[in-house]
Amino acid sequence: MKISTMLIGVASLALCAGGALAGSHLANTADKRIALSNNYAGNSWRQAMLQSWEEMGAAAVADGVVAAADAYTTSESQATEQAAQIQNLILQGYDAIVINAASPTALNGAVKEACDAGVVVVSFDGIVTEPCAWRIAVDFKAMGKSEVEYLATRLPDGGNLLEIRGLAGVFVDDEISAGIHEGVAENDQFEIVGSVHGDWAQDVAQKAVAGILPSLPEIVGVVTQGGDGYGAAQAFKAAGRPTPLIVLGNRQDEMQWWADQRDANGYETLSLSIAPGVSTLAFWVAQQVLAGDEVPKDLTVPFLKITQDTLDETLASTPEGSVANVTYSLEDAQQVIAGAK
Amino acid sequence: MTLLAKPWIWAWGAAALTFALTIGLTSGRGAGELAYAALSFGAFAAIVGLGQMLVITLGPGNVDLSIPATMTLAATLALKAMGSMPGTALLGLAIALAVGFGAGLTNYLLILLLRLPPIIATLAASLIYQSLAIWSNRGLRIKPPEALADFATGRFFGVPNVAWVGLGLAVLVWIALERSVWGRWLLATGQNMRAARLAGVPVERVRASTYLAVSVFAGLAGYLLASFSGGAALNMGAEYLLMSIAVVVIGGTSIAGGNSNVPGVWGAALFMFLVISMLNSYGAAAGLKNVLTGAIVIAIVIAASTRKGRK
Repeated sequence: MKISTMLIGVASLALCAGGALAGSHLANTADKRIALSNNYAGNSWRQAMLQSWEEMGAAAVADGVVAAADAYTTSESQATEQAAQIQNLILQGYDAIVINAASPTALNGAVKEACDAGVVVVSFDGIVTEPCAWRIAVDFKAMGKSEVEYLATRLPDGGNLLEIRGLAGVFVDDEISAGIHEGVAENDQFEIVGSVHGDWAQDVAQKAVAGILPSLPEIVGVVTQGGDGYGAAQAFKAAGRPTPLIVLGNRQDEMQWWADQRDANGYETLSLSIAPGVSTLAFWVAQQVLAGDEVPKDLTVPFLKITQDTLDETLASTPEGSVANVTYSLEDAQQVIAGAK
Repeated sequence: MTLLAKPWIWAWGAAALTFALTIGLTSGRGAGELAYAALSFGAFAAIVGLGQMLVITLGPGNVDLSIPATMTLAATLALKAMGSMPGTALLGLAIALAVGFGAGLTNYLLILLLRLPPIIATLAASLIYQSLAIWSNRGLRIKPPEALADFATGRFFGVPNVAWVGLGLAVLVWIALERSVWGRWLLATGQNMRAARLAGVPVERVRASTYLAVSVFAGLAGYLLASFSGGAALNMGAEYLLMSIAVVVIGGTSIAGGNSNVPGVWGAALFMFLVISMLNSYGAAAGLKNVLTGAIVIAIVIAASTRKGRK
């Protein structure tokens, strides 16, 4: 076993080296500085996102890939505040700014200024619409739709669904919900009989679900947006109702609950979300642009799906209380770029 | 007539009406479930509301905006210290209350020494508390000890344990306000701080104890909420900022200070949960839900305050 693992290790090292060599026709970015402009840090997903960035950034600086990979977070999650922050980053002379934006449009002025100053701008997760920036977007609609499609395979007879939405008025919430409703329209054996806003927080979701449950008929499935599945499960339990099929969102407490239920009664479900490590994907895309690679402006982030088969493995690698994560490598970024070309 | 003159009657009336409307939808089914949920979730709003009520009673400009951050910090540190280990529930409680005490002390010292308006002082301090919470545990959700979680989600005589805590606290606050010298001092300070000082009321001691009380209540609420919902989260307190002020105002306490109302806080806490549940049950869209909630809240506040005007 030892030898075979070593061989695999050597092989993957060789692959890495190959990848690095393949990229070597590009310019050296060792003297380039990349900054992360982040608008919010107040939940576990964003914390994991920042941590991924810091770890990978420190490694990239140590390896001499870039000169700096610093992270900056605004304190009030305001677009105006982030616009001022971006202007500061331009003045500080960063070569590239990676943005998780507070608003798709409100930062466009600051982003344009950055582009005009010759700074590469890559937005991800919370993207900006300014054409000069790169966008690493999540297909939230497809995410919502795939939840219903999964339910259709598990519950061919259909039934009543409860929808837990995110934060009202946020673009992501509208998109995921639109995808869910599109999925329900195509699978008309399902009907959404109740919809609440859980604000992507377990305690808020628990409260909202507990409030609507008494007025609902039997529920066969719960479609969610992430960060709300465990709270929903608790509310069903407190109401003394049978646990429906709840689609989860990759949080560790959700996966732990899933594993416990599976061991107790064979519970089966699906968990999907965006890995917080998408910040590292954005880093490598920015690095590739700086290196002179031709990168299409619109890229798509792959979902991180956890199934019955990968549950134990993912659970083991996720820190307690955190969220399932992947750190993307240069090769992953090159693959995503190649896929979009 | 005497009953109608009570400012808290409007909050309780509104709570009863929304309850009836929600249950009407299901023709009576689920009434017990809904009442139980309202008592559980209303308890958290009531606990922070009672604290906020004391501060608002201090008079114009007094409000504690650090409640959400204090809740988060207290819950985060308490759950981290307990580390899901059995038999640590009291240790966690002590830590949560101590964090609340520390936050209250900090808030008051900022107000006293730097002469900052309370709104600015508590808002600025809340950024520090929130950062401490982030720094101490980076948002990882640690489960509460099993026995504590069972207590927080359990019931006693059919009433949720958290509601018993909230009710007990309400009785304590009521006694302190209505039957103790401190309560008289607080009301006098809220009605006219200068007059109270000249009359020999130890105004600064009253202010200090009030700012300590609100933060200790917030620490307790954070501890209970985290135990109830399976762990502390960085954004767990967010909705309790406006909630704590709303339940005070809807409950019939004068926003200008000098007049508090304990039963109204509980009525308003139940109402705030029930109105969202009702609108959700009727399938109102998010925008409409917010507009209706706002309109209903304004209507109750007007109803409660015109009553007082005619007195």
